[in-house]
Amino acid sequence: MAILEVEDLKVYFPVKAGIFNRTVDFIKAVDGVSFTIEEGKTYGLVGESGSGKTTTGRGIIGLETITSGRVVFNGADVTSRKSKSKDMRKDMQMIFQDPYSSLNPRKRVIDIIAEPLRNYERLSKIEEKKRVQELLELVGLSPESIMKYPHEFSGGQRQRIGIARAIALKPKLIIADEPVSALDVSVQAQVLNFMQDIQKELGLTYLFISHDLGIVKHMCDEIAIMYKGRYVEQGTKYDIFQNPQHIYTKRLVAAIPDIDPRNREKQFKFRRQVQKEYESSYSNYFDNEGLAYGLQSISDTHLVALPERG
Amino acid sequence: MWKFVVRRLLITFPQLILLSLIIFLMAQAMPGDALTGLVDPNLSFEAKEELREKLGLNAPWHVKYAEWVSGVVQGDFGESFRFKMPVTELLEQRLWNSFLLGVMTLVFTYVIAIPLGIISGRYNDTILDSSITGYTYIGFATPLFIFALIMLFVFGYQLQWFPTSGSVAPGLQPGSMEYILSKFNHLLLPALSMALIQTVSTVQYLRSEIVDTKQREFVITARAKGASESRVYNKHILRNSLLPIAAFFGYEISFLITGTLFVEQIFAYPGMGLLFLESINLRDYSVVNAVVLLFGAAAIFGALLSDIILSIVDPRIRIK
Amino acid sequence: MEMKQIEAQTQDPTKSPSGLKILWRELVRDKVALFSLILLLLIMIFVYGVSFILDQDEIVKVDLFAIHQPPSEEFILGTDYGGRDVFGQLIIGTRNSLTIGFAVTLISGIFGIAFGLIAGYFGGHTDNAMMRVLDFFQVLPFTMLVIVFVSIVPKYTILAFCLIFAAFSWMGIARLIRSKALQEKELDYVQASKTLGTSHPKIIFKEVMPNISSLIIVTLTLNLAANIGIESGLSFLGFGFPESTPSLGTLLSYATNPQTLEFRWWIWVPAAVLILVLMLLVRNVGEALRRATDSRQRRG
Repeated sequence: MAILEVEDLKVYFPVKAGIFNRTVDFIKAVDGVSFTIEEGKTYGLVGESGSGKTTTGRGIIGLETITSGRVVFNGADVTSRKSKSKDMRKDMQMIFQDPYSSLNPRKRVIDIIAEPLRNYERLSKIEEKKRVQELLELVGLSPESIMKYPHEFSGGQRQRIGIARAIALKPKLIIADEPVSALDVSVQAQVLNFMQDIQKELGLTYLFISHDLGIVKHMCDEIAIMYKGRYVEQGTKYDIFQNPQHIYTKRLVAAIPDIDPRNREKQFKFRRQVQKEYESSYSNYFDNEGLAYGLQSISDTHLVALPERG
Repeated sequence: MWKFVVRRLLITFPQLILLSLIIFLMAQAMPGDALTGLVDPNLSFEAKEELREKLGLNAPWHVKYAEWVSGVVQGDFGESFRFKMPVTELLEQRLWNSFLLGVMTLVFTYVIAIPLGIISGRYNDTILDSSITGYTYIGFATPLFIFALIMLFVFGYQLQWFPTSGSVAPGLQPGSMEYILSKFNHLLLPALSMALIQTVSTVQYLRSEIVDTKQREFVITARAKGASESRVYNKHILRNSLLPIAAFFGYEISFLITGTLFVEQIFAYPGMGLLFLESINLRDYSVVNAVVLLFGAAAIFGALLSDIILSIVDPRIRIK
Repeated sequence: MEMKQIEAQTQDPTKSPSGLKILWRELVRDKVALFSLILLLLIMIFVYGVSFILDQDEIVKVDLFAIHQPPSEEFILGTDYGGRDVFGQLIIGTRNSLTIGFAVTLISGIFGIAFGLIAGYFGGHTDNAMMRVLDFFQVLPFTMLVIVFVSIVPKYTILAFCLIFAAFSWMGIARLIRSKALQEKELDYVQASKTLGTSHPKIIFKEVMPNISSLIIVTLTLNLAANIGIESGLSFLGFGFPESTPSLGTLLSYATNPQTLEFRWWIWVPAAVLILVLMLLVRNVGEALRRATDSRQRRG
């Protein structure tokens, strides 16, 4: 069952100029993005910085105003004004990129993690404390640390606090916006594995936003590649990594480092070849403005942005 | 550039209209009206009402406001009921005196601020700098009126270097050399008192600006190229730091307005500030309104002017 | 419970969470500021204590047989033109100036902080409109309007004075708070609170405000110094306190009489010194706090 359906999502930022500050142009941060996520799966959204992947996530959860399009979450339209109610938001939570700025430095751990609980559930002080301690235990932190402040924790621990806060209301969908890119590489794997563990435990669905194909390969079932606000290619993990069709995807996949030094020569040749193909066939994949074409279906699961064949 | 100027001008008009509305509403709230001073107080209530109707004093407020504004635009501020003369005539001499005081203060302010700021910034963290910084620190904490009183006490009464009141010695022929000198002499102490206090913020600004610029890449490059120290200062640092300061004079106008109230009172200098205080005490409200309106408009135009000049000198502020 | 936590924190050197604590630590380390704070507290205790004993009605009573007496054993600081005890007026005047200073700083502070937080937090059109209002207020001739309002308000009381004063002096702090709030709202913890379903007022006052508390404290302290000065200035011009309420500014206003200025120093010099000292002390504390919030300038 699809838990999240996004239809033709557009987020434009106005460019203002002139004496009256009129809107003269738009920056099309997200320009017609559609996808669905099945319950319990992890959907990866990949792109370089400025590709609109973060804006897509923020648009879905309501941190950015959507210019047009529909977001259907759990069978209800989140974009229509009527259903902008609090309860809607309860089942959709977010994990932020920067574990340093995403926790209020002036609040104790208990107040940080209890914030969503206080907004949606009426709990007594004792119940609340118990819930927070359970959550801390769940994310692998000591329940005794509820009275500490964020600065007393390391980056990885802080991100766990952020995750504990996000799962406090037992949400169905979690939007993870580059959840590990601010962490040391050694800690990244820890947090990622832990995210997979709680996914199984709580039956979570992830929208996983990242610029790192390696991490996405590790985490996701379905993957979409974004470029300049549009989808370039979408498919299962196999489609993207074993059978990339769009030249942009091919370049990205080719750029994943290979740890086996014996393959170095092969890898180098392969990249040269992809680069050549990119230069020679650029116009087959991008229109005059350098944007991706509309998506064409090449199999049940695989969509690629190609010019209309005709 | 032009966009900024036009946009800034567009903000100015609502400000002027709002100011006039505030003053008009203030005038409505003031006890008595234009009639109070005009007619014989022994007139009967009915006769007064009739007169009121005839003079349009019972008209709805927006009609009265429109009439008042059209009068003000033509330079008609009504009658002063105390002095029994048009407010405009009353203001003329006072306005001139206050204008001279303001200009003199600004001149002193910059004459003091620029050398002190440059010395303090160039030789920062020396004894010279600490004494200048000490002066600005105390200057910031000293209310103008106390400082002016002390100046008057020391230089006016104890040392008797300056006249202690008025704007000119009595009995001199206007236009003669003595008259002009006497006027100048009367201006010195009040203007100096105001300038010594007002200047501290400019000194501080100039100092921090120079200290900042000193560490910028382009100054370091200039030094590395072998430019002499004085060339570095004259060509690179001062050009960047002095221009914004010159543009500040418009913002200083609001300070000057507050300053004239105190300084004119203390030195019994017959300017707008003193006129304002006298009129308030005499309940001569048509004069009060005229002074507030003129000073308010002066402050609005001062800020406008400074904003525009600054936007030319320093493009950073244009991004609004 | 609460006490225990504080104790635990002071024992553990790694814990230095609140900005207020840093402020306090820096203040105590700064000898000039610490001295100023102590002296200020002593003056306040003395002034509030003594004025409690003094009989205000007795002090403001005109005694025509004791006009302009120089300091003597009966009148430590002599008498004014109405034969009133200058020392008593000085004490009560200082108390009044301080009280008004605090009240105005608080009223204008609360309004200014709320205004700045709301403008900065919402940003965009809200901010734009609010800032135009602020610009307008800032350009108005503040002192003149206060004087006009003071003289036309029908029932003039100390509260009315405070409100009029505050109505024209909230802009500075509002501007500072707004620019800080503009930066703060971009941080992820504010965004996180939105996704967690926290309401805007709650985010503004419970999440953002505590994070700019040090700026608030510094600005309020510096405003206090300025407000004491402005209040005495207005009283000096005769538009501060209602008549018959002793005030430092009123004592100084007697010096507009040349005779008093030149020959009767005991009437105005003590008041002038007191205002200067009060403003300097409060400023010392405020500047030290400002240095403490600006880590680049922190001493050691």
